[in-house]
Amino acid sequence: MATEQQDGAEVFGTDTDEEPEIKRGLIESWAANAIKNPDRTYKAMFYTATIFFLVTTLFPFYWLFMVALTEQRNLQNVGVVPSGFDPTLLAAGDLTMGTNPGVFIEVFTLVPFHRYMFNSFVIATVTTIIVLIVASLAGYVFGRLRFPFKGPLMLLVLIVSFFPPAAFFIPLNQLFNTNVDILRPILADGSLYNTPYAMIIPFSAIFMPLAIFILTTFYAQIPDGLEDAARIEGTTRLGALFRVIVPLSAPGVATAGVLTFIAVYNEFFFSFLMTDGGAANWAPIVEGILRYQGQYEVLFNVMAAASIVGVLPVAILVVVAQEKIVSGLTAGALKE
Amino acid sequence: MGDVKLEHITKRYDDVTAVDDMNLDINDGEFVTFVGPSGCGKSTTMETIAGLTKPTEGKVFISGRDVTNLPPKDRGISMVFQNIALFPHMDVFDNISFGLRLRDYAAEEIQRRVDHAADVVQLKDMQDRMPDEMSGGQRQRVAIARAIVRNPDVFLMDEPLANLDAKLRVHMRTELQRLHKELDTTIIYVTHDQAEAMTMSDRIAVINAGTLQQIDPPLVCYNEPANKFVAGFIGSPSMNFIDGEVTNTGFESEHITVDFDPSAVGVTVGSNITLGVRPEDVYESKNARVVADPTAPIAAKTDVLEPMGNEIFIYLLLSEDAEAAMDTANADDQLLMSTDPDSTLGEDEEIEVVLDRSKVHLFDASTGRAVAHGLADPAPATASSAGAPSDD
Repeated sequence: MATEQQDGAEVFGTDTDEEPEIKRGLIESWAANAIKNPDRTYKAMFYTATIFFLVTTLFPFYWLFMVALTEQRNLQNVGVVPSGFDPTLLAAGDLTMGTNPGVFIEVFTLVPFHRYMFNSFVIATVTTIIVLIVASLAGYVFGRLRFPFKGPLMLLVLIVSFFPPAAFFIPLNQLFNTNVDILRPILADGSLYNTPYAMIIPFSAIFMPLAIFILTTFYAQIPDGLEDAARIEGTTRLGALFRVIVPLSAPGVATAGVLTFIAVYNEFFFSFLMTDGGAANWAPIVEGILRYQGQYEVLFNVMAAASIVGVLPVAILVVVAQEKIVSGLTAGALKE
Repeated sequence: MGDVKLEHITKRYDDVTAVDDMNLDINDGEFVTFVGPSGCGKSTTMETIAGLTKPTEGKVFISGRDVTNLPPKDRGISMVFQNIALFPHMDVFDNISFGLRLRDYAAEEIQRRVDHAADVVQLKDMQDRMPDEMSGGQRQRVAIARAIVRNPDVFLMDEPLANLDAKLRVHMRTELQRLHKELDTTIIYVTHDQAEAMTMSDRIAVINAGTLQQIDPPLVCYNEPANKFVAGFIGSPSMNFIDGEVTNTGFESEHITVDFDPSAVGVTVGSNITLGVRPEDVYESKNARVVADPTAPIAAKTDVLEPMGNEIFIYLLLSEDAEAAMDTANADDQLLMSTDPDSTLGEDEEIEVVLDRSKVHLFDASTGRAVAHGLADPAPATASSAGAPSDD
């Protein structure tokens, strides 16, 4: 091909970029170029789309950040930069340039926001661990064993996720507000209201079907030979699951774990109704953010700062897990 | 130690019987090969011994213990799989030491044993490689090292060489034999490749449709097959089978007659019978001097030649309209013959062939059971008139 083109160029004595005998306008020549070089067009389209999505998803964060940095009294007119932002102040020795970074400390002084974060974090972590362990067992059974009524049973499990969580709320709230004598040694008044269990239990149930579904598909793909080999080498079925199948399904486990963690961390409906909103009563982040809303004023800048602080752990988790997912994909040479 | 016994093992899946009343007795240190066509139940039998599947009925004994209800890890076995089944997320050392680590051996002991096992399979300096950085042969050797490192009573090998290329397979075959000599442990080996079975085993267990057909040393299976299936399965290319009838003077089919005394063999006159003869026991009449006891000459026409280098396979047609049949081994009017590589025969030549009477097998046509291996000449007088082509 290359030599043919060279030959052609010699014969006609023209440059190969354009065909000079046709006069073209700007758009026409651009279109001709695109037809000749479709890769360039695709690339351009890729960047356009990427930039569009990045802006639409990241701009709210940016704006949140700007709102947080704006002083309380300037909140009426927040623009692309915080109102009151003035770079010239830097020369005068004001490092903040008219913004209010102190709000990130205020977040913790006005309300024990760290405790709310801790609550959310503990509830999300415990739920994720419960979901991963139970869903691993279920995923193993659904993905690797043959037994009658497997399909209908799987469907039954998935049906749980079809219900809106509100459908479960009233019976659960009744149940968790009932004083059970047998729980008195562990819980002060014998009811689950205002304890993390009131959230961990329903969250585990609600997010279980998705995790089971994800893990089933992953575990089903691990070759039988590997499990047989592990069992011959000295593990039980359970040992083979946790020593061979789970490590080899790391991307799937990470996906199920991250999805569960984020969903629980951000959960509001149950958390709001199963606690009275007190930090000591295991109320989650969103309750904490709402605490900045008083009867006479709403501290939007502190709420914005709290939102950013609350997002950080999840952002870090996703970045770390993503690395795990990517490395799992590249190392996952599941050659039989 | 190391003996394996199967008693009335039966495995049924829903409506399919994979293994049907299998009885086997394997001695310590023996190399036994399960051979049979795909889907014959040989792998299921192996999995039953390994404990990966439970038999529907029957008992499994390993080293004298009833292990029928024990999990695989407590049976004193190790296994090499067809798909190699190395753990892809562990390096060679971790793969080999997996079983030892599960059993809480001391670190030095593990290192010593892994070193030794890696030595045996000649993988000394590769202990930190990952499986996907190794070639197929190396991976299979890691799998073998993983199997030998625990000093099991019994090795199970489920078509371990099936995924390797032809040359490597022959090489690994020799290595496995060397390994068996070195370790002197019972090896049960599953394959569908009868060449592997012939070359490696002390005894071959031929399995078909879930039932044991014959278990005997390779040459016995070859020379005295218990039934028509074994005769056809062992040996490549397959034995020729010709259906015919027992007459007063011996065997008779449309194209082939073999004289023998029916009463001496113990077959009833008039019954249907199948005659089997291996390609190497078919001779061109003029070369038949080497045969002590040839049969009457059979007219044939050469069809296709397959020169193999050390021999030539010649497809013979016994009648004009024989070409339609595809299944040469079972066609009554075709014969496969093997000759010296320096034979000058070409295609479409009219020749006469004889069979080596002492190497002819007779099978009951309905049950397939072997009736006789090798036939005696009924009368020297008929032999000289009919079967002696010595004047050529």
